[in-house]
Amino acid sequence: MNFVYHVIAIIAMSAPNILGFNLIFGRGKIFHFGPLGVSIVAAYATFLTTMAFGSYPLGLVAGFAAAAIVSAFFAWLSLRLDADGFGVMSIAVHLSLLAVVLNWTSLTRGALGIPRVPRFPFLHSTVDFMIFSTIVAVLWAFVLWKIDRGTFGRKLTALSEHEWHAKALGIDRPFIHLIVFLIGGVGAMLTNVQYHQYIYLVHPSDFGYPAFIFFVTVVVAGGPGSVRGCMLSLVLISLLREGMRFLPLSANILGPVRLILFGVILFVAVWVRRDTLFPKQRTV
Amino acid sequence: MTWFTFEIFVNPFYKHHRFLPLVTTIAWSMILDGMMLLLFEERPRSILPGLKKTFEIQGARISVEQCILILLTLVALLAFAYVFHRTSFGRKLRAVVQHDSAALSLGINSAVLHRVIFIVSGVFAGAGGIFIGIDQNLSPTFAFPLTIKAYAAIIAGGKGNIWGAIFCAYLIAGLEQVLVGVHWFGAFYVPAGYQQTVALLFIIFFLLLKPSGLFSSQSRTA
Repeated sequence: MNFVYHVIAIIAMSAPNILGFNLIFGRGKIFHFGPLGVSIVAAYATFLTTMAFGSYPLGLVAGFAAAAIVSAFFAWLSLRLDADGFGVMSIAVHLSLLAVVLNWTSLTRGALGIPRVPRFPFLHSTVDFMIFSTIVAVLWAFVLWKIDRGTFGRKLTALSEHEWHAKALGIDRPFIHLIVFLIGGVGAMLTNVQYHQYIYLVHPSDFGYPAFIFFVTVVVAGGPGSVRGCMLSLVLISLLREGMRFLPLSANILGPVRLILFGVILFVAVWVRRDTLFPKQRTV
Repeated sequence: MTWFTFEIFVNPFYKHHRFLPLVTTIAWSMILDGMMLLLFEERPRSILPGLKKTFEIQGARISVEQCILILLTLVALLAFAYVFHRTSFGRKLRAVVQHDSAALSLGINSAVLHRVIFIVSGVFAGAGGIFIGIDQNLSPTFAFPLTIKAYAAIIAGGKGNIWGAIFCAYLIAGLEQVLVGVHWFGAFYVPAGYQQTVALLFIIFFLLLKPSGLFSSQSRTA
């Protein structure tokens, strides 16, 4: 039973970050491939500050501030570069931030990660984490659903469908981009604050290429921009990922097999959604 | 392999939207990474094992293999430049790159040329992989950062400008070697671990100032 609680907790913890990414990539059609860059900064800023000063609120403020700065930087990049150029450059920023974490050993302990990160005083067992993360995920999904259905969502959709026409109608592209990236940053913060407390560790391997592919796969498979679809695909793909632990395969085979499987799922998802992922511009 | 990639992961999707192949090729690279890990494991390997013969020029040590690789690269670049700028085939290639539909209306089979361009790019990428394997070590997951750097060179050089991309590829490689491991002005030192980061950040900040790239060129209009 404890494994079921663990899986529910993991799914609920992942939800805020992935739903935030869904708003940027799925709804906004912004080629943002660096969501884990924001996650790295949010996680390290939160827990390094918390451990240095022994204060959760201070850690959270530092984490939110750091996530906001990196998100604003990504928003700026997205306004300056072409769509595909931004896609690749956002991966470059992610890789650069990962390299900083791996090499600044005096601060981050490099590849060893930060062990024994403190938990919130009210979170002790797996059940506590499951209940707390589920409440956070449901609230966050509701907030994003309201944003998606509201004026902001319509403006974002208009910008993704036809930027020039949207601008001609008075939609402020820089403002919309900044807000959507900041929402993504808050999602990254919510996920990372919970997840690293849960496993007692902040480790660079949690922010690697496979994790990014997991994000893209969930969003594409769930239907880009759909909060409900994204949640459903997150549950199904997470169950598949966690269920693979029971396969009679050694760890050095399971990792590559998982990589191949997620590659195939992503390809099939893009094939199925090839008309909706990046729809052709409407014409009269 | 490149032809297969084009037929399965690029061509069917490019018709729907030009950005779709970016996602499908990421999926394909993941599948390939997984297969390479299953076949060859994660540990690095070298194509030419053992010590390399080196000699000194003005205090700099260089191996015979490195000299051959530099020469082969120059030969490949010159051959490419000749075909691209001095032959009718090169003119057709440039026409397809500049305006696909206009080239088609002039009787150029752009569908075939798309495949040829893609296969030639794959051959160059394969040669790059083999060259790195001879000079350094190969591991199944080493290609991802290289792809990012290659794309950074294309963008920084100005998209559509081949010589700009080649210049920026040398610029990135040069920055990686020059900026790290040196005491700058006797004051600060960039550790070797930041080798890739420094070059990529330089390109990012450069693109923030000039988003169209170093040698961007306007496409022809009527």
